[in-house]
Amino acid sequence: MTRAGMDLGSRQVKIVLAKGGEIALKKSFDTAAFYKEYGSIKGGLLSVEFTRLGLPGRSTGGVTLTVTGYGRNAVKVTGAKVISEVKAHAAGATWQTGLNDFVLLDIGGQDTKVAKVSGGRMEDFIMNDKCAASSGRYIENMGSVLQMPIDEMSRHFENPAQLSATCAIFGESEIIQKMTEGTPPGEIAAGVNLSVVKRVLPMLARFPDGPVVFAGGVAQNAAVTYFIKDRTGREVIVVPEPVYNGAIGCAYL
Amino acid sequence: MGKIGFTTTVPVEVILAAGLTPADLNNIFITRDDPGDVVDRAEALGFPRTTCGWIKGIYLCAKEAGINKIVSVTQGDCSNTHALMELWQADGMNIMPFAYPYDRDRDLLKLQVRKLMDALGTSEEKTKKVFRGLVPLRKKLKRVDDMTWKDGRVTGAENHLWLVSASDFDGDRENFEARLDRFLAEAEKRESRSPMGRDALGAPKESGSPRGRTLRKPPSVRLGYIGVPPIFSDLYETVERAGARVVFNEVQRQFSMLHDTGDLYEQYARYTYPYDVFGRIRDIARQIKLRRIDGIIHYCQSFCFRAIEDLIIRRELKLPVLTIEGDRPGPVDARTRIRLEGFVEMLGDMK
Repeated sequence: MTRAGMDLGSRQVKIVLAKGGEIALKKSFDTAAFYKEYGSIKGGLLSVEFTRLGLPGRSTGGVTLTVTGYGRNAVKVTGAKVISEVKAHAAGATWQTGLNDFVLLDIGGQDTKVAKVSGGRMEDFIMNDKCAASSGRYIENMGSVLQMPIDEMSRHFENPAQLSATCAIFGESEIIQKMTEGTPPGEIAAGVNLSVVKRVLPMLARFPDGPVVFAGGVAQNAAVTYFIKDRTGREVIVVPEPVYNGAIGCAYL
Repeated sequence: MGKIGFTTTVPVEVILAAGLTPADLNNIFITRDDPGDVVDRAEALGFPRTTCGWIKGIYLCAKEAGINKIVSVTQGDCSNTHALMELWQADGMNIMPFAYPYDRDRDLLKLQVRKLMDALGTSEEKTKKVFRGLVPLRKKLKRVDDMTWKDGRVTGAENHLWLVSASDFDGDRENFEARLDRFLAEAEKRESRSPMGRDALGAPKESGSPRGRTLRKPPSVRLGYIGVPPIFSDLYETVERAGARVVFNEVQRQFSMLHDTGDLYEQYARYTYPYDVFGRIRDIARQIKLRRIDGIIHYCQSFCFRAIEDLIIRRELKLPVLTIEGDRPGPVDARTRIRLEGFVEMLGDMK
C-alpha cells in the first residue's frame, strides 16, 4: 500500500509518497506555479489532477491520499482525505522523531504553530496572529533587502543588530537605516533571525515542558535554532525533513 | 415613542418604563446590510485603524438611525466608549453616562439605576413593574438556552441571535415575544440532536445522493463561546461545518438576564459582564461542567483590553481554549477558519 501526503502550503506544495516505513518519493513545487501548471477550475473549485504530477495514478488503486495546508479548503483533490495543518505537522513530527511527548514548533512561509503533543496525541495548540513578522516570508523579505541569499542569512547569529520594527514590511526601512549607519550585514541578518525567535518565545512559553521539535522551512535556519536553544535553555530537535513534515504527517496518519 | 440608544447592555426596564424604545447600537450596526462599509466610512472620518470595529460602527450607526439620545456605559465596558461619548457630545447629541461600579457595590449600582430613571423621567415603581412583566419573557429565553445545551434542538447560532437580541428586544418587545413564541413552538417539534452530547446520538444518518451515499455523523464536539459577541457573520456556521456545536454563549446569555433574582437591582449586580473577570470565570466554569463542554472559543475584538484578560482565563479554565480575534465585520477569515477547524479536529480526537 502506497500512502501519499500533500501539503498545499502558502509558498510551496509538498508531496510525499510513503511505502511501508520508508519515504519513497518527495517532491516540491512553487505554489503559484503548481496551481497554474496542474490545476483547473471545476465547479468553482481548483481541481488538481494527481496523475499529471508524474506520480502513480490513484485510479489504479492502492494509493491513499491525505491533504493539508492553506489550500485544502479551496482546492479539490479528488478522493483525498483532508486534515488540518496542526494535526498533520504533529503527526509528521511524531513519525520523524519517534517521540511521543514534545512541543512542536513549526515555522512555515506565513505562519507559526506551536502544539503540545502528549502520549502521541495533540493536546493543545496556538498559532501566530494575523502577522507575518514571525514567518519564513519575513526572513526572505529581509534577505532580499540585504541582498543576501537565504542560506547565508541562516548562518548569522553573532552580535545581532537590535531591530524594533514589529512589522514584516516596515522592517525593510529599518534595515535600510541600519545599513546606512554602517551596521555590518551579518549583524543585521542575525538581528532578523533573533526577531523571529522573539516572536516565537511567548508561544513556546505557553507549553514549558518537554523538548522542542522544530519543523517547517525555517527549521533549516541554524541561527534561528541557535537562538531558540539559547533563549529557552530547552532541548531543540530539528526534524530530518523540516519542509516535508506536514506532507509526511499526512502520509502516515 | 422616542428611541434611546445605548452602547452596551443597560437596565432596559428603565427605558421601557419611561415609555421609550430601547436601541442597542451594536445590534443596529451588525444587522445592517453594510457594516463593513460603515467601519470604512468611520475610518475615513479619522477613526484610527487600530481601534475597535464596534466603536467605529456604532458611532455612525447612531447618527444614521436618527438617534440623538444615548445611554453611554462609561464603566463596565471600555474606555473607548468615553471618547466615543465625547465625540457624540461634540456632535451635539444628548448623552447620559451610566457606570457599573467595578466592585459590584449594590448602593452605587442602585444610585446609577435611579439616576437613569430620573434622566429618562420614570419612577422606581414603574421600572419594577416592567421588571416583573419581563419575567415570563426571560423564562422563554431560558427555554431557548436550555434547548441548546440539553437536547440540541436549538443551534448555537439561533441561541446567539435570540440571547444577544434580549438587550433591546429588537426595539419592539411585543413583536419580539410573539416571534419567540413561534420559534419555540417550531423548535419544540424538532428532533433532539444530541442529548447532553453523550453517545446517544443514534446511528449515523445517511445523506447525499442515492448513488453517492455518505455516512454523516452529527457534530459531537461541544464548544463554549466566551467573550463579546463575534463581529464575524458566519462563525457558528463555520464551527458547525467543522463538526462542532456551540452549546454555551457566555456574554449573550448574560445580556438576556436568565438568572431569576426576583429583584431589579440584584439582577444587574449578578450580571457578570461589566464587572471583574473572576466573576465571569466562575460563571463560565459552572457552565462548562453543567453543559459538558469539551473546549472553549475565546473571542477577542482586535485592540480590545479583554485580550489581556485572556491570560487569566487560560490560567483558570482547565480545558483547551482557542483564542480568536476579529477586527472588521464579514465572514471568518481563512486564518481563523483553519484555527477553528484544527481546534475542533483536535477536540474530536481527544474524545
